[in-house]
Amino acid sequence: MSTRRDFLKTTLGTSSLLAVGGVVPEFLASTACAAEKDEKPKDTVLVVVELTGGNDGLNTVAPYGDDLYQKARPTLGFAKKEVQKLDDYHGLHPRMTDFKRLYDEKRLAVIQGVGYPNPDRSHFESMDIWQLADPKRAGSSGWLARSIPAMSAKDASVPGMYLGNERLPVAMQGADGGVISLADRASFKLQLTGNQASRKKLIEDLNGDKDAGKADLASFVRKRQIQTYTSLQKIEDALREAGSSGRGATGEVINGRFVQRDPDDLNTLSGKLGLVGRLIQKGLGTRIYYVQLGGFDTHSGQAEAHANLMGDLSAAVGYFFNSLQPEHSERVALMTYSEFGRRVKENGSRGTDHGSGSCMFVAGSQVVGGLVGKHPSLSDLTDGDIKYHTDFRRVYATLLNDWLEVDSKGVLDDEFEKLPLIDRKKKAPAGGQPKPGNPPVFPPGVVPPPAVPEPVPPPPVAKD
Amino acid sequence: MADAISPDLSKVDPVEAWKPWQPAAGEWNRKWIAHLFRRAGFGATPAEVDKALAQGLSKTLTHFMTGEADAAERLELLTETGQYYTEPVNLRVWWLYAMTEGGHPLREKLSLFWHNHFATSYAKVRNTKLMYEQNVTIRKHALGKFRPFLLDMSRDTAMLVWLDSNRNVKGAPNENYAREVMELFSLGVGNYTEKDIQEAARALTGWHHDAEVKTFEFNRELHDTGEKTVFGKTGKWTGTDVVKLCCDQDACAKFLVSKLYAFLVSETPPPKALLAPLADQFRKSDYDIAAIAKTMLGSKLFFSEHAYRNRVKWPVECALGAVRSAIAERIPLADVVDPLAKMGQALFSPPNVKGWRTGTDWLNSATLLARNNFAEKVAVGDWSRNGRPPRRPQFGFPAEPTSAEEPIVNTGSAAPPEAKHDICTAIYAAKPKDVAAVVKQMSTLLYGEVVTPAQVKKIETFLLTPGPAANATPPKGPFPKGGIKRFDLPVPPDEPPPPPKPVEKPKEKSEPPKPLDPKDVKLDSAEFKARVREAYHAMMCLPEYQLN
Repeated sequence: MSTRRDFLKTTLGTSSLLAVGGVVPEFLASTACAAEKDEKPKDTVLVVVELTGGNDGLNTVAPYGDDLYQKARPTLGFAKKEVQKLDDYHGLHPRMTDFKRLYDEKRLAVIQGVGYPNPDRSHFESMDIWQLADPKRAGSSGWLARSIPAMSAKDASVPGMYLGNERLPVAMQGADGGVISLADRASFKLQLTGNQASRKKLIEDLNGDKDAGKADLASFVRKRQIQTYTSLQKIEDALREAGSSGRGATGEVINGRFVQRDPDDLNTLSGKLGLVGRLIQKGLGTRIYYVQLGGFDTHSGQAEAHANLMGDLSAAVGYFFNSLQPEHSERVALMTYSEFGRRVKENGSRGTDHGSGSCMFVAGSQVVGGLVGKHPSLSDLTDGDIKYHTDFRRVYATLLNDWLEVDSKGVLDDEFEKLPLIDRKKKAPAGGQPKPGNPPVFPPGVVPPPAVPEPVPPPPVAKD
Repeated sequence: MADAISPDLSKVDPVEAWKPWQPAAGEWNRKWIAHLFRRAGFGATPAEVDKALAQGLSKTLTHFMTGEADAAERLELLTETGQYYTEPVNLRVWWLYAMTEGGHPLREKLSLFWHNHFATSYAKVRNTKLMYEQNVTIRKHALGKFRPFLLDMSRDTAMLVWLDSNRNVKGAPNENYAREVMELFSLGVGNYTEKDIQEAARALTGWHHDAEVKTFEFNRELHDTGEKTVFGKTGKWTGTDVVKLCCDQDACAKFLVSKLYAFLVSETPPPKALLAPLADQFRKSDYDIAAIAKTMLGSKLFFSEHAYRNRVKWPVECALGAVRSAIAERIPLADVVDPLAKMGQALFSPPNVKGWRTGTDWLNSATLLARNNFAEKVAVGDWSRNGRPPRRPQFGFPAEPTSAEEPIVNTGSAAPPEAKHDICTAIYAAKPKDVAAVVKQMSTLLYGEVVTPAQVKKIETFLLTPGPAANATPPKGPFPKGGIKRFDLPVPPDEPPPPPKPVEKPKEKSEPPKPLDPKDVKLDSAEFKARVREAYHAMMCLPEYQLN
């Protein structure tokens, strides 16, 4: 736990907040802002949520209608009346109320039976395979990093950002200069020792000397420089709002947004996704955000731990989409993955051991909602594991081609058949996003999510 | 200067453009010397500028072509030492060392060019020895002839691994190398057909590395001995023939010349006709790289506004140039490796086979910030000492100020850097008599010419204005009062102790400090020198600084 707390202290603490606050020369910032006002955000954004430790797919999307499931999970299995029903066979974990809502709104794709050949059950090895997108683990640069050179980013923004306190995930490694990590303060902070105020002023004065209308190379660089300082400012502003120096007190709602004063909130998934949301709404041109939620290695006493994680995940993602304004929400897709699933049979300590094959979620208003692929059979197992039928790289390829508009073959070094996950022409469902003036959305934990009582059918949602 | 060169590039006579520049008296000045050294090498030291000024263009250029008198011995030593590294970071330092101390900057500069041209990455090769060997091969040919160069690269072990050559076998050709050798290494898109690639791939079958992945090996059994037709010529071609056929194409000289032009002369795409004489020369000389480089670097066009600052510095140029222009002694080169990666150029790890995205693509928010922050390192002399990390604290910021107006003060500038790494050493070497002379010297070191009068004025005002410098305002909040870690490090005896609290203090917080009379400024005071370093950083944050 200490490392999570350290995250804030070392990277996002008050000292770093102020360190850049105001670094942007005033006129530079205002020039850049004025220039950006007219532009509508267009670029799509992918948010990747890594579920670290091997998420139990069978208790995430539970085949509750299958006797074999109930038999294999005598203490951990969910009964029909517990799950968030998707149909009369599949049900989400009981705590995934927001995912259920997204599913009903057709904004959540549930991809079943995902895996890769000859699965590796080591956390480390398998995580590498997912992040390198290569079962042979031949290269050393991650799949997201490899996609970055081919990606356009508005205003020369940094294409990829990692929010967390660990080392940069392998998926993001190898894109030098294309990724920043909020764990590495130096990568998003202008370093000025000594008298910062007068130094900033000098930089501003020297740069402000020229006619900005000229189209030569120096003017171009000057513009980039302004964009750089503006981007830094946006990141700092978002951090400030998310951290301890924003307006309002914890629990207050300002401009329809819930205020979180406790900086430790940034160590929760909902805090991190909240920060991602702020950065997106500020028009930062970043295309890929990467966050993690750990603790999925549930070898014993799984029920409670896993329930909390599922609750966190579901609420954080639900909150994330709700807090985005529609114009931003529609350009965001979120993907979850874990390095592997778990054995079908629970173990003797009311937990589950490392398995293979699992499920992935892709959420967003331009996502084609619904179940993708069949639930793998529970009667046809390999070494006690379900058999995968969908290579995870098909999900990657789909998101690369259809969402980020990057040639997936160049990234994955092979052609993968796409899945029907994205519909760029899809209209957002009417009930999907809160309109201005809607009651504020509460973050997870503040208001307990209402349980959907059995046997009432899912609440009516506006459908198109 | 270069009076024959029209300001409109489309009107420039191509033949005239590439004629050697014969500077009239006084035209060969620091501006053009700095320009030449930035392009042909990694920037000039003050001593090199003085020497070039005395020798004139012709001798300076010749010196670039041959390197130092002992370049051959240095090369031998370098080559010997490089093979033992097992970590990529050490290999990177080794090459940076070769660039700065190898005694042959142009050779290393073109090696960097060819490294990007034949972009191979450790990320897939996973073997420092192979990357080292490729680097040695590149260095060997960097100023040589392109035909043997391309042949050696086609049989280079790292390259064979990088482009899956062992998968290229008779009956099931893998086109990876065949495609790249045409598209990226010799001809460029549009100068070959898919059929050419398929046939060339067949000719290259069996060009493998051995089982231990140590060396090239021709696998006769997996080689397709049949007839192939490449570029309309039919024969029982082998890999060697593919290389030859590529080099025989007209497109080859044009393609390579245009890449060299972007690297050495300008990133503004030239009118086609402009490069025709160069392509001609390159072809007729059987691809003599040194000769074509010399033509470009000595030409009238090169010493004209068409070339001047018409390129974005590569990170390596940016970093080494900063170091060489003002730091007397070599800094710990390991300190440059991480900043280079942040600027987007980790040596031996280009992003893909196309190489780095150069030009304006070098600059995004993260990389430009990394350049600004590296400038800070240079300006304040923030280098590791005897293997110790830099003494400046990473988190040495005081608590949040209570109001926005309150100046943020960091004590970091209090301790001067080691004299040998202090940019003030170079700035003061010219014994400036007044503030104006200090500014002029800074400007000359950085740009080889004086910045605009308006900028000069601003820098002078900054230097003359005593700020609430180090420790002037006692830090508040959790900031440790007794000082930060850096004071715990031993201070070399020859270095003045951290200066006492500055004499000038802001009288009132609300009133900004006024500039002093130039007469009242002690140029040698620690406080003034601290401001000189800060001003130097600001000058390195000018857009012009990112241009080469």
